[in-house]
Amino acid sequence: MARVLTYALTLLLVASALPVLPGSQSGRGGQDYARRRSAMVRDQIVARGVTHRATLQAMRSVERHLFVDPALRSRAYEDNPLPIGYGQTISQPFIVAYMTSLLGLKPEHRVLEIGTGSGYQAAVLAMMADSVYTMEIVKELASGAKKRLQDLGYSNIEVVTGDGYYGLPGKAPFHAIVVTAAAEHIPPPLIEQLCEGGKMVIPVGSQFMVQNLILVEKKKGRITTENLMPVRFVPFTREDTR
Amino acid sequence: MKRRLAISIGLLSCSIVAFQVALMQILSGCQWNHFAYMVISVAMLGFGASGTALAFLKKYLVQKIGTTLALLMIFTSISIMGTLFLSRTVFGGFDSYLVFYEKRQYLNLVCSYFMLFVPFFLGASAIGLAYSHYALDIGRLYFADLAGSGTGGLLMLLLLWVVSPSQAPFVIACLPLAAGLLIFPSGRKTVAEKTGFLTLALLALVLLFTGLLNPPLLPSSQYKSLSRTLLLPDARVVETKNSPYGQLKRVSAPALRYAPGLSLSYNGVVPVTEAIFNNGDWMGPLVPVPGKRTKDTLDLKGAPDREDAPETEHFLDYSTQALPYVMGTPKKVFVADAATGWQAVYALSREAEAIIAVEPNSAAVGMVSRHMNFPKDRIRFVAGHSRYYLQKDDRYDLILLPEAGSFGGSSGILALEEQYLFTLDAFSLLWDRLSPGGMIAVTLWMDQPPRSTLKMLATMVVTAESRKVENPADHIVAVRSWSTITLVLSKSKVSSSTIEKIRTFCHTRQFDPLLYPGIRPREREEYNVLQDTSLFLATDLIFTRERETLFREYDFQIRPATDSRPYFSQFLKLGRLSKMRDVFGSASMPFLEVGYLIVLLTMVQIVLSSFLFIVLPLIFRKVPGKGKAGLLVFFSGIGIGYMLAEMVFIQQFTLFFGSPLYAASAVLSAMLFFSGTGSAFSHKLITGSPRLRLVAGLTGMLLALLALCLPALMRVAIGSPLVVKVLFCALVIGPPAFLMGMMFPSAIRAIRPVNEGSLIPWAWAVNGSFSVISTALAAVISVEAGYQAVMWMAAATYLIAGISTRFRLFSIFV
Repeated sequence: MARVLTYALTLLLVASALPVLPGSQSGRGGQDYARRRSAMVRDQIVARGVTHRATLQAMRSVERHLFVDPALRSRAYEDNPLPIGYGQTISQPFIVAYMTSLLGLKPEHRVLEIGTGSGYQAAVLAMMADSVYTMEIVKELASGAKKRLQDLGYSNIEVVTGDGYYGLPGKAPFHAIVVTAAAEHIPPPLIEQLCEGGKMVIPVGSQFMVQNLILVEKKKGRITTENLMPVRFVPFTREDTR
Repeated sequence: MKRRLAISIGLLSCSIVAFQVALMQILSGCQWNHFAYMVISVAMLGFGASGTALAFLKKYLVQKIGTTLALLMIFTSISIMGTLFLSRTVFGGFDSYLVFYEKRQYLNLVCSYFMLFVPFFLGASAIGLAYSHYALDIGRLYFADLAGSGTGGLLMLLLLWVVSPSQAPFVIACLPLAAGLLIFPSGRKTVAEKTGFLTLALLALVLLFTGLLNPPLLPSSQYKSLSRTLLLPDARVVETKNSPYGQLKRVSAPALRYAPGLSLSYNGVVPVTEAIFNNGDWMGPLVPVPGKRTKDTLDLKGAPDREDAPETEHFLDYSTQALPYVMGTPKKVFVADAATGWQAVYALSREAEAIIAVEPNSAAVGMVSRHMNFPKDRIRFVAGHSRYYLQKDDRYDLILLPEAGSFGGSSGILALEEQYLFTLDAFSLLWDRLSPGGMIAVTLWMDQPPRSTLKMLATMVVTAESRKVENPADHIVAVRSWSTITLVLSKSKVSSSTIEKIRTFCHTRQFDPLLYPGIRPREREEYNVLQDTSLFLATDLIFTRERETLFREYDFQIRPATDSRPYFSQFLKLGRLSKMRDVFGSASMPFLEVGYLIVLLTMVQIVLSSFLFIVLPLIFRKVPGKGKAGLLVFFSGIGIGYMLAEMVFIQQFTLFFGSPLYAASAVLSAMLFFSGTGSAFSHKLITGSPRLRLVAGLTGMLLALLALCLPALMRVAIGSPLVVKVLFCALVIGPPAFLMGMMFPSAIRAIRPVNEGSLIPWAWAVNGSFSVISTALAAVISVEAGYQAVMWMAAATYLIAGISTRFRLFSIFV
């Protein structure tokens, strides 16, 4: 019986050690979010090749930890997406930065975002554009984002609750459109609402891994797409075979 | 008592297998499919752990053996029901999609493991205790166990048609409850015993009626397709149908508008507002039948006046799926694995005259047929296995294969699904069923880095070459949009007039051709630019002698699948794991290609758990007797061999019967019936270790023979009527199963006299653990080396088990 007890105690000790393994700490008081944001930009975004100055500035400024659940704040600047409820996530910081940099925004630009989620992407866009209209189909997410953005003082963002398929014809045309809600097809009305020379970006993948981005451009009435992978991965080169 | 005990063991085994099937359905519906497999495997380790517990506690438990067995069975019943009532903790607290992102999910995962482990542990403890205490009667008990298990599988086949997955466990829980009551000793009891028994019985009955009348609502992961669709405005479930294939739900959502890879030049409406989900996963859209568009289906809330698409046009004309209809006007169309029949509806709009759509999920066929009201003179929507249906000697102008992959990648979810329509053997059959100008068409979601497109193309090219086509490039066309690609293999050469039509189609739709005879490189990227040239480079190499080099050097597995290794969606090469982890990161990897990894992870997890909870405690306890290594080899060998053979039989008979469900039923029934019979006769036929050795040797030789001859034998009998097929199945499986059934009870009898049977629980634990390990092992071997190799391994394990019977302990037979 003593052996049984020894064994049980050993197991218990192993189990009790689990929560203190590296990475499982849930928070340290008084974290320096600005420092962590800066590190995020340096290690996750610049290191992967995003150099668009305005995007980097926006990523350094927007307080990402205020867009996630308080329980997840300590993890807001980690290199991955985080759940925000209703089957949605706040995208990985690098993906937000990469998508934003692809749009080539200018201060006078008007931007439409489909899929507000937490409102983080809209906040980043608002740092670089004149006005941002963001649409969210899930009422609860829309009202949460609206309140959050108002509280944080983003006065150039308008959150619209509703189906983003038809865009906002009354506010069109837009210089840039970001479709963060997964779409098996690109809604034709959104293409129409893109101004000449405008760009649209669509992430393709699951909530947890953006596999590639589709950049749609409208030039002289002609629409082209470019399929971009967020990572550099070449599965085969002719030279390898020789 | 012995007869009642045998019946009780049968009822209990029946409930354990039935509960396992029910759990698979429940977990598949609530969570990421991969985890259903992983969680169940660990729960099944309850069998192994029960042996460990018995090794420690047997001397206490046998003091009141009748009461103990009855209580274990009643507790099994209560724990089955309890699992469902605690479903918020078990299935809701844990979200498999978040396990890589939230550390607390690990705790929830362990909690889920434990909750699901308990019923299996309790049930297996009752069986193990009965085996070790009534070892002399093991033949009869083992027969009851196997017969009960077989009945459990069949019971679920019937039960899942009539009750929901959340109700099924409450029906199942009646069986161990009845089993416990049946053997509860009727002698004199103390007041405390009477009160305890009545309280338990009452608790079980209360749970039973509550569960049956008001089954708990099972929470689904918020990341399942169904959960996310139901968040759309005005989305609602309009019809639910239970079946062994899964729980089907027809959902109406005005904001759905499914149109895969629609052309950017389309400016009409997308009239798809309904879809069907199976176990919470997307199955397919319900595309309105042409001419049946009603005001309701076009009721697009908030839509500006955009109904300007010409009436004669279908929205799918603006998808790459239109390609075969651009190349010709097929009159007779076969739609394989038709799901919701949307490809058949589109063929109808393209004026096909005779459309045969075949879908294996008969419940879906019923739901779709009832709702869609197809014109019966033109569409035949039938339940069946497409490969089996294509055996019939008929010819088609167009054979449409199901979509491969899914939007945004499938995360390797189908990696271990046997896709018999995408093998070289299947394509040879499809080719033979084409009319002279016939076509095979398949649409895939574009994946980055490219893999499914290349594998499909390689399958087409190798098929054409095997059919003596001089230049396959003259017969293959591929067109891509920004997200989908459609490939067409034509039996006749693609003519220059057809090429002109394809060019016009691409130009008006803003698509890019990837392949047609005489294509120029600059034509490939006019509208949809790719980041690098991997796709083009690899596409061209597939037509050259460098194809083998490409298959070998490419970072993903793109060699065509075969019937022996029917895993089209298995792209992962284990040797390239570290490269991919470096590029994509550890947290993202699971969402790239996880299916195969999960099996490997499951295997590691089971091996570790077995060691921690089964082997280690037994080492601590110091099992009496010398040289237990021989016993370990024997009981693990027969555990592994039996499961490997069973899995190969199910795989081989799936194509033979044309239905995975019928194949599994027939194979399991035959295996368990003949093994049970072998077990019942074992005490007469096996009276010493030489005979046991002979039986093991014969089993190994029979399995080896089947590894060599079974596919050829099946080819001869595949066209026979169902009755002949069932007989054939029994004839093939019967002899090895009969022999395999004798091994376990004979060996238990052999070791019964050693230290008063104290080795029996240990043997039970080892056998149970290795049976579970072998299910994951079979998947790994079949992916790496094919099913034939799995059968060879089964044969080898029996031969090794036979050799291990030279060990001294086996010399004592009773």
